[in-house]
Amino acid sequence: MKNIFQLFKKDLIRFLKDKTAVMLTFLVPAVLIVIFGSIFGGGSGSRGKIPIIVVNESGVDLAAFLETEIDSSNSLRSVKNYTDENGNEIKIDHEKAKELVINGNYPAALVFPFDFFADTSSAIKFVYYYDPRNEIESQLIQGTIQKTIFSKIPSLFPLLMQREAKNFLGEALSDSFNSDIANMMSNYFGANKDSVIESITNFDIVKLTQQSDSNSVNNRQADFISNLIKFDSEQLVGAEKKNPGVTRIVGGWAIMFLLFTLSGTATSIFEEKQDGTLKRIFCMPISRSQFLWSKYIFAILLGIVQLSVLFLFAYYLYDVDIFSNFLNLMVVILASAGAAVAFGMVITAYAKSLAQASGISTLIILIMSALGGSWFPVTLFPEWMQFAAKFTLTYWSVEAFLQVLWRDASFTDIVFPYLVILIGIAILINYLALYLFKKRQVV
Amino acid sequence: MNSVEVTNLTKIFKTQVSNNITALDNVSLSIGEGIIFGLLGPNGAGKSTLMNCIIGYLNPDKGKILLKGDDTSELNLKYRLHIGYVPQEIALYQELTAIQNLKIFGSFYDLPAKVLNERISSALHLVKLEDRKSDLVKNFSGGMKRRLNIAVSILHNPEIILCDEPTVGVDPQSRNAIFDMLKELNKQGKTILYTTHYMEEAERLCNKLAIIDNGKIIAEGTLSELIALLEKRETIKIRKAPASEKMIESLKKIGEVTETDFHYEIIPNNSNSKNSELFNELEKLQLPSHLLELSSASLEDVFLMLTGRSLRD
Repeated sequence: MKNIFQLFKKDLIRFLKDKTAVMLTFLVPAVLIVIFGSIFGGGSGSRGKIPIIVVNESGVDLAAFLETEIDSSNSLRSVKNYTDENGNEIKIDHEKAKELVINGNYPAALVFPFDFFADTSSAIKFVYYYDPRNEIESQLIQGTIQKTIFSKIPSLFPLLMQREAKNFLGEALSDSFNSDIANMMSNYFGANKDSVIESITNFDIVKLTQQSDSNSVNNRQADFISNLIKFDSEQLVGAEKKNPGVTRIVGGWAIMFLLFTLSGTATSIFEEKQDGTLKRIFCMPISRSQFLWSKYIFAILLGIVQLSVLFLFAYYLYDVDIFSNFLNLMVVILASAGAAVAFGMVITAYAKSLAQASGISTLIILIMSALGGSWFPVTLFPEWMQFAAKFTLTYWSVEAFLQVLWRDASFTDIVFPYLVILIGIAILINYLALYLFKKRQVV
Repeated sequence: MNSVEVTNLTKIFKTQVSNNITALDNVSLSIGEGIIFGLLGPNGAGKSTLMNCIIGYLNPDKGKILLKGDDTSELNLKYRLHIGYVPQEIALYQELTAIQNLKIFGSFYDLPAKVLNERISSALHLVKLEDRKSDLVKNFSGGMKRRLNIAVSILHNPEIILCDEPTVGVDPQSRNAIFDMLKELNKQGKTILYTTHYMEEAERLCNKLAIIDNGKIIAEGTLSELIALLEKRETIKIRKAPASEKMIESLKKIGEVTETDFHYEIIPNNSNSKNSELFNELEKLQLPSHLLELSSASLEDVFLMLTGRSLRD
C-alpha cells in the first residue's frame, strides 16, 4: 500500500510540474464549457439575438401586434432602419430588405405585405426572405416567428377557418352550416342561438390578441392551424448549392485543422533545436532570416495543399461547389494560410519549449475555433462573445470561406474586410514573431 | 595566418532568477594552421559557449573572432565555408537514411552535383559507412551515428574542423575509430579544434592545449609545457580498496590526502620529501604494495594545481 501511495505521489508531483498538462487538463475544458454553456443556455450572459429585418407594409392591427411581439422576442433582434452613405437613418422597405439579405448584411427579412390580413382572407400571409448560411440560425428564426404567431394569437385560427369554409362552400351554404350548428347547440345544450352564431362568425382583433396565452396552444392545434399561415418564403442565397450543409461548415473545420498543422510546422523549430540540427544548419552558409523564410514558405505551401485537398475531398464526396468561384477560394486559402502560419510562428517565438508551444497552441486553437465560428454560428453566442469572436483569425477566415463558397462573392466583395483583416493579422503577428525571435534568441 | 583567432571574447547569459552568468570572460586564443588544438575543461567551463560563438550560433557580447582571416558576423556568411562543425548532439535527421542526410546537408554548400556525390562517397569511405548508406539513421548504433555526424561536417572540405565533445557516450572502439578519422583529417592538413573534458583524449590527440575554467583560459601550451607547470612530475597514488580505505586516517598523518574516483593521492607534509621517503612511510603502515602506483603527472594534475578542483568535479 505504501508503495502504491509513493508511486501515486510521484505521478502527482510530475503532473503538477508539467504546467502544459495541467493547463490542458483544466483550463481548456473550463473555457470550452463556458463557450458551450453560453450557446446552449445557462452560461454567463444572455444569448445573443439573431438580427432579422422586419418590414410592415400592412396597415392592420394584427400585423402591428405581431411586429411588437417580434420586437420584444428573446431570440430575435428586429431591424427596421439602415444607414445610408450620408449617415442618415432610413426605414427599410421591401426591396431594400431583399437587397440587404442578398448582400449578407442580415440572415433574414420578414415582410408583412399589403395583403397580410384582408377582411376576407382565409390565411395570414408573410413574405420571408432568408439566407440559410447557418442552418441552426435559419431554423431558429423560422421557429421563433411561428411560435410567436401560435402562442400570441391562437384564437385567430377559428376565424380563418370560417373564412376558408366560406370560400370553399359559398356564403349561403356556409351560413346554413353555421345556423345548423347553432340550432344543435341550442337544442342539446340550451345555448342562445344568436350568441353562438355571433361567437363563431365575428372576431374582434383586439380581443384576439388579448386572449393570447402561450400555454393554451397544444401541438395538435399547432399542426392543424399551420396551414392557415402562408409563408411566402424565398431563399435568396445558396439555393443552387447541391449540398448546403457541408458547404456551410467546410470552411470552419478547414481553418481549425489548418491551424493545428501549421502551428505544428512552426514549432518543429524546437525539435530542430533539440536535435542539434538547427545549430548544424547555422554553422553552414545559411542566415537566420533564410531559415525562417524557408519555414514560412514550407508552412504556407503545406497549408495551401492541405486546404486544397480538403476542399477537393468535399467536392468529390459531397458535391461542394469549389470551382465556380475557384480563384477567390484560392485567395482566401492563401490569406488564411498566411495568418495561420504567423500564428504558429508567434507561439514558437514566445514559448520556451516544444511542450509549452504545443500546449499553448492547442489551447488557443480550440478556443479560437469554438469562439470564431468553426463549430457553431457566431450569431448564437452572447453579445460579448460575438464581439470577442472578431478578435480571432478563425472568425475572419470562416466568414471569408462562407463568402466565397456560399455567397459566390466576387474579389472586391471579399477584399474588405475579410482579406484586409486576414492579411493584416498575418503581417502584424509575423512582425511580433520576428521581434520575439530576435529578442529571445529562439533561433 | 592563424586558422582561428579569438580576441577578448565575452559572452554573458542573462537569467531571470539569478545574477547574469559570464560564460566567457575576455577569452583570447590563437590556433595555428594544421594542428589539433584541444580545449580542456570541466562541464560548464565555457567550452561549448566558445564553440557556439566560433561557429556563429551565438553572438558574443564583446570581442572578435577571425576564421582564416574572415570576420564571423551574420552579414558575412563566407567564413562558414571554412568550418566543419561536429556537434555534441547527433545532429542528424533520424528518420532519413545516411545518404539522404549527407545530400541534404551537403546541398547547402552550393557544390555541383558531381562534386557533392564524390565528396559523399569519400566521406562515407572515411567513416566506414559505405555499406550502410541506405539505412535509416535511427537504426544505427551510437558509434555509427557519431561517425556519420563527422561525415556530414566534412562534405564541403573545410579547412577547420570544430569538434564539440564528439565522443560523448561512445564505446572505446568507436572512440578509437573517431580518433583515427580525426588524425587522418589532420594529416590532410585540416586544423582541428577539439573540446573535451576527458584529459586522456586531449593528451592523446592534441598538439596544443588550452585549459578553460569558469569562462577563462587558465593555461595554454603544448602538453609538456603544461606539465612543466607542475612542481612534481610524478605522484604516488594508492588504489582504493578495503585495505587502503581502512588506513585513511593513518594516511592523513603522512600528508594531505586527496581523492579521485579510484585513487587516493598523498601530498606529503614535508613538500621536499622524495617519493622513496613516502614509500617508506607507506611500507611502515603495512599497506599492500600492489595498491601503490607511481604515476606521471597528467593534465588532470595541472588542472588540479591551477584550480584546486578535479576536472570531473
